[in-house]
Amino acid sequence: MPVLCSSCGDKRAVLKRPKTGHSLCKACFFWAFEEEVHQTIVTANLFKHGEIVGIAASGGKDSTVLAHVMKLLNERFNYGLELMLLSVDEGISGYRDDSLETVKRNQQQYELPLKIVSYEELYGWTMDAIVKQVGRKNNCTFCGVFRRQALDRGALMLKVDKICTGHNADDIAETVVMNVLRGDIARLRRCTAISTSSEGDGVVPRCKPLKYAYEKEIVLYAYFKKLDYFSTECIYSPNAYRGHARTFLKDLESVRPSSIMDIIHSGENLSVRDGVKMPVQGTCQRCGYISSQSLCKSCVLLEGLNRGLPKLGIGKHHRLHDKILTQQPLTEKEERKLKAVHF
Amino acid sequence: MCQVEEEYHGPLLREELPSVSRQCVKCKEASAAVVIRAGDAYCRGCFKEYFIHKFRAMLGKNRLIFPGEKVLLAVSGGPSSCSMLSQVQEGLSQNAHKKLRFLPGIVYIDEGGAVGQSVEHRQRTVEELRAVFRATGFPFLMVPLEQVLDLPSSVVLSAPGAPEQEAGAYKAAVDHFLLSDGSSGVTAGQQQETPPPEVQEAHTHSLQRLLGSARTLTAREELLNILRQHLLVHTARSAGYSKVMLGDSCTRLAVKLLSSISLGRGAQLAHDTGFSDSRYGDTILVRPMRDYSAKEIAYYNRMFSVPSVFTAGLDTKTADKSSIQHLTESFVIKLQANFPSTVSTIYRTSEKLQSCKGSASAGRDRCLLCVCALDTAAENASAFSATLISEQLSQTKSPEESRQAPEWTAPASQCCSIVRGELCGNRGRGCCSSAKASEPPPLRSLLCYSCQLTIKDMSSEEVLPQYILSEAETRLRRSQLREEIRDFLLEDEADEG
Amino acid sequence: MAAPVAIHLEFGGGAELLFNGVKDHHVTLPSQPDPWDVKQLLVWIQQNLLKERPELFVQGDSVRPGILVLINDADWELMGELEYQLQDQDNVVFISTLHGG
Repeated sequence: MPVLCSSCGDKRAVLKRPKTGHSLCKACFFWAFEEEVHQTIVTANLFKHGEIVGIAASGGKDSTVLAHVMKLLNERFNYGLELMLLSVDEGISGYRDDSLETVKRNQQQYELPLKIVSYEELYGWTMDAIVKQVGRKNNCTFCGVFRRQALDRGALMLKVDKICTGHNADDIAETVVMNVLRGDIARLRRCTAISTSSEGDGVVPRCKPLKYAYEKEIVLYAYFKKLDYFSTECIYSPNAYRGHARTFLKDLESVRPSSIMDIIHSGENLSVRDGVKMPVQGTCQRCGYISSQSLCKSCVLLEGLNRGLPKLGIGKHHRLHDKILTQQPLTEKEERKLKAVHF
Repeated sequence: MCQVEEEYHGPLLREELPSVSRQCVKCKEASAAVVIRAGDAYCRGCFKEYFIHKFRAMLGKNRLIFPGEKVLLAVSGGPSSCSMLSQVQEGLSQNAHKKLRFLPGIVYIDEGGAVGQSVEHRQRTVEELRAVFRATGFPFLMVPLEQVLDLPSSVVLSAPGAPEQEAGAYKAAVDHFLLSDGSSGVTAGQQQETPPPEVQEAHTHSLQRLLGSARTLTAREELLNILRQHLLVHTARSAGYSKVMLGDSCTRLAVKLLSSISLGRGAQLAHDTGFSDSRYGDTILVRPMRDYSAKEIAYYNRMFSVPSVFTAGLDTKTADKSSIQHLTESFVIKLQANFPSTVSTIYRTSEKLQSCKGSASAGRDRCLLCVCALDTAAENASAFSATLISEQLSQTKSPEESRQAPEWTAPASQCCSIVRGELCGNRGRGCCSSAKASEPPPLRSLLCYSCQLTIKDMSSEEVLPQYILSEAETRLRRSQLREEIRDFLLEDEADEG
Repeated sequence: MAAPVAIHLEFGGGAELLFNGVKDHHVTLPSQPDPWDVKQLLVWIQQNLLKERPELFVQGDSVRPGILVLINDADWELMGELEYQLQDQDNVVFISTLHGG
């Protein structure tokens, strides 16, 4: 016996909503999904009329749905935004080159301008080359740090006012769990924020319009809308520890589907005791990017690559920052510690 | 997806297994008997000293337990609370190095009825524990959980506590205590052999019906925790105890922290996992075992013959995914096996949190069940309001469906005024489509976010104990009254609603 | 004795990688004493189609959390999940949500 839509009470339901347990038909689901993203955008005051907004596009499900919905809502509700797609080419053959093809198709389907910035042009290193030097253990660190800056650099080239990313509710909940497991109280406190204000020169404000959208609904939205997205795992091994958190989260969701939202609610209502030390945000003395150290992570990682000491940016070597800044050579002992990565 | 916004502190490395040194790291003489953390191997003697010191240090550091104060030890029979009991005994003994100076009593809550144990089984457990308690010389109470059904409504009110102690108060109290009669009164009273109160079968049935009305084990466990805590606080209050000591270990608290987060209790984390929990105002819950890992406790109890009595809980022998609490526990324990710093890292977070911002005034602005400040003000763009919006949108017709009703517009509201026209492209309809989300049913409005989830998992609210239902009625009547006279109130008073 | 059932299986969102990258499979489940349900289908898939790393697809007797199942284009949670009895010409879709963003 087919279940009927709890909204129109008329058509056959096609999905059970994890957030609320309701069953919706296709049309009512589309409407509710889009309306909810719209509500998020409006109540969180994410954009202003006339702004230029870069959509971080990877070709994956989240950013594909984000681009689709942003374009649709911008027209439906007359946001008056100028939308662009912004992609980062990490230089991973067999993965990113394929997914960028998806982005290029999206560009045509949605008729949005597209800017691709590559690690190679920004840093002189592709991820393929980085993996060759550092091995597969820590390459995600490089990729994550470089991408954050790459998006900002791309945004500056395009002169966009804001970047929106495809982080969904599951991603946010996972980050809350990760920060608890890492004991990272500073990030735990801010990771549920829906937008970051401009933190300094060279940093473009970011926001997450899909913050309250479940991954399940994003995937089904893409499926029912027949959106063109790319779904291959990065060929370089993903972060194993994060994998544990992901599995835990999916298990939680299967026990109580609202858990994802419940975790976000927890994150939004955490209160850190007065007097707990927080890192002070400053700027990198080399490139001017925000950093809590004298050198930003990206510059340290790059220095490590260029000096052939890949471990420089892995773990904590803050006391070496002065030496790097003044371009002094490292001692032999220091060099030996930072050379190849063998675990 | 990859996390765009993160820079890693470097990976969480598996700690290398230390080569097991044969000697104690402390005295460097005796051969090691127990490895506490990677690399820390202690001999028997040094381990005992370290364990005992840690208990005093925890109490000394927090300066919360005053000399001469009556302190109720909540002992479940499990290894951790039994270890706590033995530490209190140790600390009060004449030859203790830094003598503890409070007056202890013990309470055991017999939950056998909740987990469906036979009367004989429950009696056996009670007798075993009675023997353990009798040996301490402390006064003790054996309270069947069924008694929770007869509690007064005052339990779910946060009573005004002692005024905030000034910095010097603790020291002054210690000096005063030493001057007056530091020697007498080791216990909070004499041991009395009162027969355990009769448990009526009908009461056991009501309790089982209450817990059974929870459709999920997750909700059942939450409910049981709440009832247990109410009964503990009530027992303490009526017997004149101002502190209740709980036996939560570091391992237990790490699990609790993560499961509390998963249950939407972020705002209540500091209460749920901190050293002291003052949500009840006059009666403060403290967790002096929070620095010990389950492993340390197990070793200590075994080496120094601390007796404990196994009692089954709701989740004993259930599958990993039977409840959120159980799933979290097995997740943390498995992770700890691979990454030995997991528990201590999670646990340290609990030290850095404080209870809910804008600490609500004592009394009725608190959750009817867990007695923490309410965290359900539906602020704009919060997970709570997003869920309410989803609930509403999943029940109303989409505009396509209701095309015949073109006058469909925003219910008087919110969003336009909030965005001040900066971004409100609505042409007649749309923007404010669902500003005011549906009101939760009455009783639910008196609960915090997480307890609302618990109640949502129950088939009926009617089975809740009378003390909760009647307090609910009182609160709802008051808020209704407030609503009715709203127009007559002065502006600033009306705001608080 | 239940007659054989011909069904269409589809794997997407990255789940196809466990099946040699093949997304569409038209299969016929053999005749057996009891009617086919989804629980048995998962066992059959594991034995007949799955090429590698079964733990990434099934867990216990269900699919791994994070894999969505649609039966005739509707969420399987609405159809009785593992207990749903397969009909001839049914369409069953498995979409992984665990890949890429």
